[in-house]
Amino acid sequence: MCTNHNKLSSNNPDLQAVEKQWDRREFFKKTSLGLGAMALGSLLNTTKARGNTSMTPNDLLNAFNTNKLGLPHHLPKAKRIVYLFQSGGPSQIDLFDYKPKLVDMYGKDLPDSVRAGQRLTGMSAGQTAFPIAASTLNFKQYGESRAWVSEAMPYLSEIVDDLCFIKSMHTDAINHDPAITFFQTGSQLPGRPSIGSWLSYGLGSDNENLPTFITLISKNGSGQPLYSRLWGNGFLPTEHQGVQFRAGKDPVLYLSDPENYDGHDRRNMLNYLGKLNDVAYDTYGDPEINARMTQYEMAFRMQTSVPEVTDTSDEPDHIFEMYGEDSRNPGTYAANCLMARKLLEKDVKFVQLYHQGWDQHGNCPGGVKHQSKNTDQATAALIKDLKQRGMLEDTLVVWGGEFGRTVYSQGQLTATNYGRDHHPKAFTMFMAGAGVKPGFTYGETDDFSYNITKDPVHTHDFQATLLHLFGIDHERLIFKHQGRRFRLTDVHGHAVKDILS
Amino acid sequence: MNDVSDFVLFLGRFHPLLVHFPIGFLFFALILEIGSKWKKNKNLSAVIPLALFCGAISALLASVLGYMLSQSGDYQEEMLNTHLWLGVATTSIAFLTWTIRTEKIKTPLNNSEKSNTTILILIILLVSITGHYGGNLTHGSNYLTKYAPFYKADKIVLAPIAKLEDAVVFDYLVQPILHNKCASCHNSSKKKGNLSLEDSIAIKKGGENGKVIEAGKALASELIYRTTLDPEHEDFMPPEGKTPLTEEEKQLLTYWIESLDSDFKIKINPSKSPKKILAIMASMLHFEGFKKEGETKLPTVAKIDEAILNNLTNNGFKIRELIFESHLYEIVLPSNTIKANNQNELDMMLAELIKMKENILWLSLSDNLVGDENLVPIAQFQNLQKLVLNNNPITDKGIAKIKKLSNLSSINLHHTSITKSSFNAFEEMEKLKKIYAWNTLVTTEDLENLKLDIEVILGSPSMTSKTK
Repeated sequence: MCTNHNKLSSNNPDLQAVEKQWDRREFFKKTSLGLGAMALGSLLNTTKARGNTSMTPNDLLNAFNTNKLGLPHHLPKAKRIVYLFQSGGPSQIDLFDYKPKLVDMYGKDLPDSVRAGQRLTGMSAGQTAFPIAASTLNFKQYGESRAWVSEAMPYLSEIVDDLCFIKSMHTDAINHDPAITFFQTGSQLPGRPSIGSWLSYGLGSDNENLPTFITLISKNGSGQPLYSRLWGNGFLPTEHQGVQFRAGKDPVLYLSDPENYDGHDRRNMLNYLGKLNDVAYDTYGDPEINARMTQYEMAFRMQTSVPEVTDTSDEPDHIFEMYGEDSRNPGTYAANCLMARKLLEKDVKFVQLYHQGWDQHGNCPGGVKHQSKNTDQATAALIKDLKQRGMLEDTLVVWGGEFGRTVYSQGQLTATNYGRDHHPKAFTMFMAGAGVKPGFTYGETDDFSYNITKDPVHTHDFQATLLHLFGIDHERLIFKHQGRRFRLTDVHGHAVKDILS
Repeated sequence: MNDVSDFVLFLGRFHPLLVHFPIGFLFFALILEIGSKWKKNKNLSAVIPLALFCGAISALLASVLGYMLSQSGDYQEEMLNTHLWLGVATTSIAFLTWTIRTEKIKTPLNNSEKSNTTILILIILLVSITGHYGGNLTHGSNYLTKYAPFYKADKIVLAPIAKLEDAVVFDYLVQPILHNKCASCHNSSKKKGNLSLEDSIAIKKGGENGKVIEAGKALASELIYRTTLDPEHEDFMPPEGKTPLTEEEKQLLTYWIESLDSDFKIKINPSKSPKKILAIMASMLHFEGFKKEGETKLPTVAKIDEAILNNLTNNGFKIRELIFESHLYEIVLPSNTIKANNQNELDMMLAELIKMKENILWLSLSDNLVGDENLVPIAQFQNLQKLVLNNNPITDKGIAKIKKLSNLSSINLHHTSITKSSFNAFEEMEKLKKIYAWNTLVTTEDLENLKLDIEVILGSPSMTSKTK
């Protein structure tokens, strides 16, 4: 019974002195750990882990945090993804979903048969009339794929043959917060892990010196707020949460050494801290202790890797020209696109860009043009740049917002101006690269861009497709939490096979 | 058959629910009888009349409801009649027994205990047989015995086929689908909507809504119309709770009706069928070799020793299994692992990779001072599909060394020194589809004279040039 007396977890004399007082606790430690291991074993639910009795709790945890979920389920097409989130709800009617018949119906009330009792937001529900507002922007067809693009996106229109448009997106939510949360986590309510966290949990990291999941927010877009839960890990282990890179001197907060500290003894400090945490982990068996240690070590490596990757000084001029003049100004959408390419080159798995300001309740034509001016060139440049580097082959590019906008004008409709309210029932997104058909348009909407007439793609379908491209069957990437097995797509979603190349 | 009011049918559907009462009560009467004999317990035998009464009353109710249900016409008449008369007999005998027991009518048998037990056993036998017929009506006549250990399935045995061309489309593909997904309600003994899909004759006959298939017109066929509706739709088939048809099954049925004019005798014709349909047919018949378009078959390879993988990781390679337990890997040597000061190590490291040459599907060696001579071992990686070699001092000589990579579909060579001469080697790579040649010595003019069906990406300003 007392053979454990001299068995100490630490080689450090200071710690050993503390540990010697723990004979009784040792007993509880062993028993509780045994239970913990069993619980974890059942959590993993892989015969492999359960059958192997020689696995320590730590092994189990590692197996849990790394790939022991039988992943990938099939041969992946995508290795990395850059998700260009256009926050606010870009107007599909003024950008991609060309509706020429609306010109003749200009100013007429939207027929009730089209709206069919669809709930509206509080912002336009009180309107007495819903005058149809045809887009004042000019549309043209481009490329061999003859895709329609408005004048707001001149650069993107050059590369339509690389894009896969989905014109039949629809979602459940009508307001920004729930709609973005729905897109990024599969649930309108906060608390679920984001797509990037699921990918990190499922597939692990390809570069241990950088986070698997990085978020960049443009400084030249403003509007509805974004919140860190959009790149949060929810109930997944903490190391899977997204890390936000900021513009300016400190891309990652609290990463650089404080003034008057040279950082030479940091390694020693971390080693010692690691031992303390080991002891704590041995005592309590809380997986979050390991997650925290992983984070400390990651932060330490990022002290070297982040300055390296965020330094764009060695980019040639023609690259800056390609992304646009903004790309020399850190923190702009264009600079973030360039940064995204650099991160992807370093095999960061998930780069999430956010550009706010697509919420054109009023002054829609002007607003759309303004937003496009800030994003069009860099988006196109990123896709071209990835392509010429051969990276578009295994990088998925996603462009889209949380919902679309209404065909009717919110507020006063004039000959040159109109506003558009939120519209969840039909909107456009596009993808490019890994495994999606280039120069392809999927889905159709009615003459009002109000209802989907062919091949609807729900938010959950989009998420299922995204996971599919990474070799994941969305029904099998699960995490048991609070007695229930959770998925990104909850109990919904079908991978849209028709858009896969 | 449609002159029966909905309300009658509504009540009738309670028949399967109510029939369990007489079964239970009457069984209980027998149990009480046995119990009272065994323990000589008078109290028990006093309850028997009550059990019989409840059994008889519920049997009467069940019979009435059963008659209502039978008005739907969904059931095979012969079996239905047997069930009906057995039910009536059970009810009558139960009532009779009750009256004898409670001395409502005097008979000489009155105190003969033996006959009492016998008649109870007779009732139970009747209930069981009636119930069995009822079950056969609802679930089909082989429901009970289908999974019995001694049961020999009398299903139609299809002769095994050697070639896809030998399979009759209806017998081998259509019929099994209908059998699995439709026949539990549409068979010769249970004809929901007066429709049976059991054999070609019944299918041609159709149901109460007329024909179920219209040769050459899939969308006009009730079979396709109903199975492709929105699952929430009232007319959707199979109804809620049953397994719906898969996408492949629907496509196949549609193809058979639309393009093969629902011919019951026609065989598969691989030269005329679209590839997609052919792939579905092949997978349903478990035929290999008909893969979906664009889908390359993955090689089957042996497991790699853990020690080899660990050794490679220690050498700086990143290893990722592409499909769980497929033993197929992506290998990445991170950029700048090899610099001028450790250049001599590269050969040794690549030699290590040869130990798993069959297992490498994707390989990336970008920006690692890989020269022409270093490519020699890579020529052995026969299963390689993607090769990334950008930002390396590679020339046409190096490319010539790897021209035997017959499975390669994409090669990334931007920022290398290749010229158009490399295209001779590329021509030998049968499956090559994409070449990334931005910032090389390959020019737009070079591509004009090429006759390859390969996309060459030259990057900005001239993004891509596709040769014929």
